[in-house]
Order: sequence, then C-alpha cells, then structure tokens
Amino acid sequence: MDIIISDNWLRDYLQTKAAPQPIAKYVSLCGPSVEKVNQVDNDYLYHVEITTNRIDSVSVYGFAREVAAILPRFGMAAKLKPLSPNRNFKQVDNLPFTILSDDKLVNRTIGVVLTNIKNWQTPGWMSKRLTSCGIRSLNAVVDITNFVMLEVGHPSHAFDYDKIKNNKFIIRESKKGEKVTSFDGKTHELHGGDIVFDDGKGEIIDLPGIIGTKNSVVDKNTKRVFFFIDNNDPARIRKTSMGLAIRTVAASINEKGVDPELGETAIYRGIELFRQICGAEVASKVFDNYPKPYKKKKIILDKSFIDENLGVIIAKEEIETYLTPLGFECSWQKDKKLFVGIPSFRANDMNIPEDVVEEIARIYGYHNIPSELMKGSLPNPLHKTVFPIESLIKQTLKALGGTEVYTLSLVPKEYVGDNALKLLNPLGKDTEYLRTSLKPSLIHAANQNKSVNDIFHQFEMANVYLSGKDDLPEERMTLGGIFYGYSYRQSKGIIENLLSELNVNAEFVPEDSQGFRPSRRINIKSAKTILGEFGILENDDFIYYGLDTKRLIDAYNPHPSFKSIPKYPPQIEDLTLVLPERTKVGNVVQTIKVTDQNINKVELTDIFKNAYTFRINYQNPKKTLTNDEVEKIREKILKNVKLKFGALQKL
Amino acid sequence: MREEIINTKNQAIAQITEAKDAGELERLRVGYLGRKGKITEFLKKLKDLHPEERKQIGILVNDTKNTIIKLISSQKNQLKEAARDWFDPTIPGIKQNLGHLHLVTKAVDEIAEVFEKIGFIRVRYPEVEWDWFSFGALNFPEGHPARDEWETFFIDTKPHPKYGSMLLTPHTSSGQVREMLRVKEPPIRMINIAKCYRRQSDVSHYPMFHQFEGLVVDKNINITHLKGTLDYFAKAVFGKSIKTRIRPYNFLFTEPSFEVDFSCTLCKGRGCKLCRGGWLEVGGAGMVHPNVFKACNIDPKKYTGFAFGWGVERILMMKPGLNIPDLRQLYSTELSFLNQF
Repeated sequence: MDIIISDNWLRDYLQTKAAPQPIAKYVSLCGPSVEKVNQVDNDYLYHVEITTNRIDSVSVYGFAREVAAILPRFGMAAKLKPLSPNRNFKQVDNLPFTILSDDKLVNRTIGVVLTNIKNWQTPGWMSKRLTSCGIRSLNAVVDITNFVMLEVGHPSHAFDYDKIKNNKFIIRESKKGEKVTSFDGKTHELHGGDIVFDDGKGEIIDLPGIIGTKNSVVDKNTKRVFFFIDNNDPARIRKTSMGLAIRTVAASINEKGVDPELGETAIYRGIELFRQICGAEVASKVFDNYPKPYKKKKIILDKSFIDENLGVIIAKEEIETYLTPLGFECSWQKDKKLFVGIPSFRANDMNIPEDVVEEIARIYGYHNIPSELMKGSLPNPLHKTVFPIESLIKQTLKALGGTEVYTLSLVPKEYVGDNALKLLNPLGKDTEYLRTSLKPSLIHAANQNKSVNDIFHQFEMANVYLSGKDDLPEERMTLGGIFYGYSYRQSKGIIENLLSELNVNAEFVPEDSQGFRPSRRINIKSAKTILGEFGILENDDFIYYGLDTKRLIDAYNPHPSFKSIPKYPPQIEDLTLVLPERTKVGNVVQTIKVTDQNINKVELTDIFKNAYTFRINYQNPKKTLTNDEVEKIREKILKNVKLKFGALQKL
Repeated sequence: MREEIINTKNQAIAQITEAKDAGELERLRVGYLGRKGKITEFLKKLKDLHPEERKQIGILVNDTKNTIIKLISSQKNQLKEAARDWFDPTIPGIKQNLGHLHLVTKAVDEIAEVFEKIGFIRVRYPEVEWDWFSFGALNFPEGHPARDEWETFFIDTKPHPKYGSMLLTPHTSSGQVREMLRVKEPPIRMINIAKCYRRQSDVSHYPMFHQFEGLVVDKNINITHLKGTLDYFAKAVFGKSIKTRIRPYNFLFTEPSFEVDFSCTLCKGRGCKLCRGGWLEVGGAGMVHPNVFKACNIDPKKYTGFAFGWGVERILMMKPGLNIPDLRQLYSTELSFLNQF
C-alpha cells in the first residue's frame, strides 16, 4: 500500500541531521521503498510503498523507527524519540458505556467519552499535514481520528455519544440482507458474517474497521464524542471491504492485521489531541476490553544458520546493533544460539528463523553481500526438448519470408466453439474466452494489414486451449499462418519447404472443411497422422495453414539416413504432357514416380495452357542407364499416364 | 634472347603507361599475353634452350609476364571514368524475401541462452493452472491481501477438490512448484519461460505477457548466489558496465524477498526520466520459503534455494535504442511495426 509521509511530521519522532534525499535513498536500500520525495512549501513528502507484511511501518512513527535503524549503517546518527502521550488528565464525569464483545470477531476495543467540545476548527498545521498525506480535512473531531491513524498506525473512530441510545455496543456478525447506510449516505446490503456494532435494539450503528454509519456519526450538533479504537479480525474486515467495495484507508490497514497493543497509544494520543485542540474534557473512564493480551514470542536460531544463509559472517555484536533499534530483544546462549524477542507490532510477520535472517541481512545491507555464481553439480539434462525445434520452425518460416506475430490468447465468443474456457472476470466481451484455434486471430490481423500491404505471410506459434473434463485444458502448441498476395502454389511451396527442412515425409490429402472454399483445402498428413491443414479461405483472399506443433515435432527427423552418393550420372529429361481438364497434377507426379525404381526425381517445371512439363531424373545406383533403358521407362510412363489420366505426350 | 626479353619488357611498360583507354589496354594485353603474344612466344621457345639457360631465362620471362599483368591491372584502375569499361556498381541488389521474428521471440531466445550456459534447464509450464500451483503451494493463504497485486483472471468452471479454482497463472512462479515436483531431489536449476496473464492494461501492462522464472535449489545456496546469478544475467544481456542491486521487498513465497534493480541502460546510472535515480526496477526475487519446499516435498533442513521471476517484455523495453513508448505496442499485429525488427 502506498502512503505519503511528511518530513516535518517525521522529525517529531526522529532525531537526525540527515536531509530528506539521503533518507529516501538509504531507507529504500534497507527498508520500505521510497518511490520519490517532493517538496511542498517548507515540507518534504516521502512517497512510500509499504508491503502487506509490514503494516507496522504504515505510520509516521513506524516509518521513523525504520529510518532510525537504517541511517546509522550509512554513518548518519539517528534516534527514535518516544511516542508516549500524557495519561494524566482530570476526569470530569463518569458517563457509562457497555460493550458486549465477541472474542472471535474483535481482539481489543478501547473507548472513552469526551465532553465539552469547544472547537471544531482544525488548526492549520494539522489540516496541512493531513492534506499533504492525501487525507481530506473535515473538522477537528474527524481530523483527529485520521491524524492518530497516520501517526500511530491504528485506525480510530469518533461516534456521537448521544446518538448511541443505550450507551451500548453489541458486537456481532451481520445477517445476510441487513442494510447499513454509511456516513457518506450510501446504503449497503450486507452479505452476512460481517462484523457490526448493534445498539442493542437490532440497529447497526457501525461497520467497524471499515466505515462509520450515518446514524452514529459526529456532526456540528455533537456535544459529546465517544472516541473509539477497535482491533478486529483482519480476514473478516477484508471480506467485508472487498465484498462491499468499500476500500477506505482504515480498511486497507485493518485487513493487514494491526497490532492491538497500538490501540492504547492511539487512545491516549487521541485524548491528548482532543483536549489540546477541541478543549474537550474526559467524561468517562477508559473502557478497555483486551481479553488476550500479547505474550512476547521468541524466535531461536543458530549463529551458523545466519552465516550460511547470508554467505557472509557478521559478528554477534553487530547483529545486536541491527536488531535492537527495530524493537527486537536479543540474547545469546553460549555465543551460538540467538534468542530474539519479537515486539507485538512485528508479531504477524516474524515467525521463522528466516525472518530474522532477513532483518539482519537488510540492515547489514544487501549491497554489502558479495556476488558469486553457485558451485555444485548440474541438474540432469532434459533430452529432446521442443524448444530448439520450435525455434527451427520459426527460423525457417522467417527465412522463407514470414513475419511472426503475437496475438492475444483471449478472444471474443464468436472466435470459439462450444467447449471453450470462459473467464469469470474478463476485462471485456472481446477478451472473454480462451482461444481454441489461431485462425480467427490471424484472419483478424491479416484483415488489418491487407489494405496497406500487397503481399505478406504472417505466422504465429502459440497455445490453443482445449478444455479437459474436470481437469486443466490441453495447451496445444499450434503453428498458424496466413498468406496474402501469394498464389496457391507459392504458399504451398513454402509449407513444402518447411516440411522438407524438418525432414517430414508428408502427403497432402484433399478434404473439404468449413471455412475453406470447396476443393481448395488439403490435410497435411504424415504416416496416417494429420499434422494440419492448408487451403484457401472461404470469404477472403487469404490462404491459411494450421499445424499441430507437437505432431510436427514428433514427425521431425533430425538425422535422415545416409544414402550413398550415386557413382553414375543421372539422365535428365523434360517430358511435356497434355492433360485433360480437371486432372490432379499431384496424382500425375505420383504416378510417374512409382512407374520404375530408376526414376528418382520428378518435378513440375512449367505449365503452358494444358501442357505440363515434368523434369524426370533417371538413375541407377549400379550403372549408367543406356538410352534404350531410359526409353523403355519413358514408354512405361506414357502408357501409365494415358491409361490413368488420358494424358498424351506433347511433341 | 635475354636482351630481347628485356627490350620487350621496357617497351611494354612504356606502352601500357601511356595507354589512354580500356580498349587500348586490351589490345596491348592480347599483343603481349594473348595466344600469339610476345611473351607467349618466348615461353614456347624455352624448350629449345640449354637446361642451365632455360632456368634463368624462364625466371626472366615469368617475371616480365607478371610485371605486365600487374601494370595493366593498375593502369586500368588509373584510367578516368570515361575511358573505362562501363559498369554501375550502385545499381540496387535484388533482394530475397526475408521475414521477421517477433521481438518477444528474440528476447525469449536470448534469455534462455544466457541461463542455459550456466546449467539451467529450460522448461515451459501451463498457462492455465489450479490455484494451488499459482498460490496455495507458494504460501499464499486463501483471501490474503497480497493476492490483490496479482490481478488474476479466473476460469468459469468447477474448482478442483484438492487444487482449488482454475485460473490463468499471473506469474511463472507456478513453475517452481511443478519443477520441484518433477525433479523431486535437487540439484535444480530451472528457467521457466511462459505466457502469463493479469487483469490490467495500460502503458506498461498488457493482459498477456511473458515471464521467465529462475529456480535454483541445492545444498548451501545463499544470497550471494542469487546476486551472482542476476549479475551474470545483467552483464550477459546489457554488457559489462551494468550494475545490479537488490532491495528489501515482500513476497509470501520467498524469505527474504527482494526487488531487483539494474542500473539504467539509457542514462548509464546518472538518473533520467526513464529511471529512478539511475536505477530501473527489473522484478522480484528471493530465497525460497521453507513452506514452499514443504508443499513440494523437499526438505528445507537439507536444501536452500533462490528464485526470481521477471518480465520478458521488461527486459526488452530496457534495451537501449529500442525506444518503444508503450508496452502494448509489442502486441500490435501491424506489419508496419513487425517488419521493423
């Protein structure tokens, strides 16, 4: 949580000659991070990030303690001044108040009645400090409660004593559907299980720890104030605050578990300020209900544990000088075991020896710890990982002119089928589902590009998410791409190039499917497994291909077997065939290839009207083929293609 | 014959030096070095000479031949433009159509390579996860306020009886859990690079991004090794002059926890608009919390470890000279952007 600390205010409790800039710099290295310091009039403001575990330093005093512990490590003297408000005051009356508490809901409540509020006007110095720290100044009574919160770190509240009809709080859980109206006039319907104060007649008169209610709030007519500190179960505070979306500063602090011991400091500091600023007088005893006071806990750890975890050896005495200013009590047993007494305000975040190591290490200064790479044995390697092959695929497509794109995995409903996973809390309708195909995203991207580019090939390799029954979805790594401005043959050639780079023996089997134009789609198969699809899309000028990367990688052959290099030269000739209309040239090539085992290569080299030229390599590994032998094979070819396709040689 | 050769050489030198254009030089070349050229004639005659003499004359002829070749070639280069053979070396080349890999792909490859050199095993763990892997096993109690910072997307489906809600992992740290469960017995050096998702979108956030998670578990691993590893990475990616530092932070799954800074790659640490007092925040790191070890069946008394999880895009945006003002730009599908890199 981000807070602002005033430098003037800080120096009420911190004695040091250090200037704001060095304070910010050094505290950031060893304690809470000061994001920036800025000057406002004659004050400096520290913008500090307080991590959730260190809610003890969310206050001026808590921050001062950190600064006082850190500065001496940088050669700057600093001392924390005590925060001990005056407890000697005259009690002018003995007004009653009853609190029926519930230990499961609250840890501590402290309250006091104040009377004769003479001044409602907040003094300038106070309103300035509050405003600097981002809190709106309203009137002296409300401002004092906020001032106490910022200074001491415990939220507090002021009720109109006379609005609490029976001078009584019953602390209970809310029932579902109960309504409260907060002091800002908004009505909230409770979910049940929230901590509420009941006036004994069933009316809720406070949402403690979160926000005050309209029916008990102080106003200009208030004569007597019931100043109150409640320390509540943080989990319930969080649930209520999140559930009702009331994110007050008090709720943000209370949900992180405030030290109940601080309540006492807060109440007396408040009384001091009410007397000083409002001229108020104390009209009751201090009602303090604290059934389970803090019992000091200890963490015990070996000196060797500290040394081993830090990687440097720090002297015992040094360790003590780091921990003591933070409020820890150190004692040693035989120089080997360290007993660390944990102060109440650190009870939540100090639990294990590693926590103590962290405190020592940060004050010692992480910048003082050396850097070195670990020694020790290496982990077992993973054989055949997908990464180099995925990289090879991308590199190959890039070399063939493809541009890689990353599109968002979250897509609108119209991009997915029935079984797609849906987000509970999407950012919007257009990113509500996990995609099951790359195709719609790539078409979308291509549509964006086609108006400004005549020709392109865009591809992506990313997961698609196929929902599994009661289990995590299958995350299927998929390769998809779109050609625009490329002919069917050019695009297909690129896919053929890719497959041959991977030494994948693939065949192309025509098969229509939705979204593609009829007779313009093929399945890419290898050994009966469908690797993917390729074809011309229905409504667009795009050619799309999609391949299952895992299957492609399975079909990938990193080392094709060596074939002995032929000793005898091939005979190469071009054969031009006139093919009847509607002949599938792929089948013609295949037919020629299987005619004779001495044909080792067939390529389509030219098309002119209905005349197709094939370049044929005749080769025998054991001898040079004679013209007679070649002629016999050629005749066989011509016979086959005539029989099968009605093709004739063009002479 | 010796005298004849020397005369020829002198004559050739004189003629070549005075030649005015490429044509004349070519005629001279043919006259001396051509099939019926003077030098060729001398070479033919060598075989009639006495062996002793043949050797010496042979050297002389060859020497003369080489002199003429060199001189013709040097004279060609001294001719004025107009007297030369016409050739235009400025004519643009015929380019092959070369494509482009995405910046994120390049960054991922670079990061993987750096860590693989120091023995890290690259893995990629699920993007869609159970709560237990992304939070529970990482020492996040249910409903803990620290979870807010992870801005998690949840999947609308039945929770797992043991592992809780299904979600899009907001960090690669879930990979720590998966890797410990896979390896079982350290040593572990893992680099997990995967897509992550968070419910946010602004100048420095896109709902989908990439993280790389390092995890090292072994006997006697301590803070010095974490510092050593991030130093190694920073210097490998940004050069020798880069400095690194760690500052206190809080993560529930590490103890102690750190925020990692690199010295600013733009201003070299002097302080500028991009950085904070010369430093750029890179991401989180820390020593693995004993509770995480326990959840992953690794004995925290025997082993210690460190982990870090940083944004790939963050590292990319720190590259000096790249100057991409808005992180979301990386996920533009426009070729006018993609083809720049």
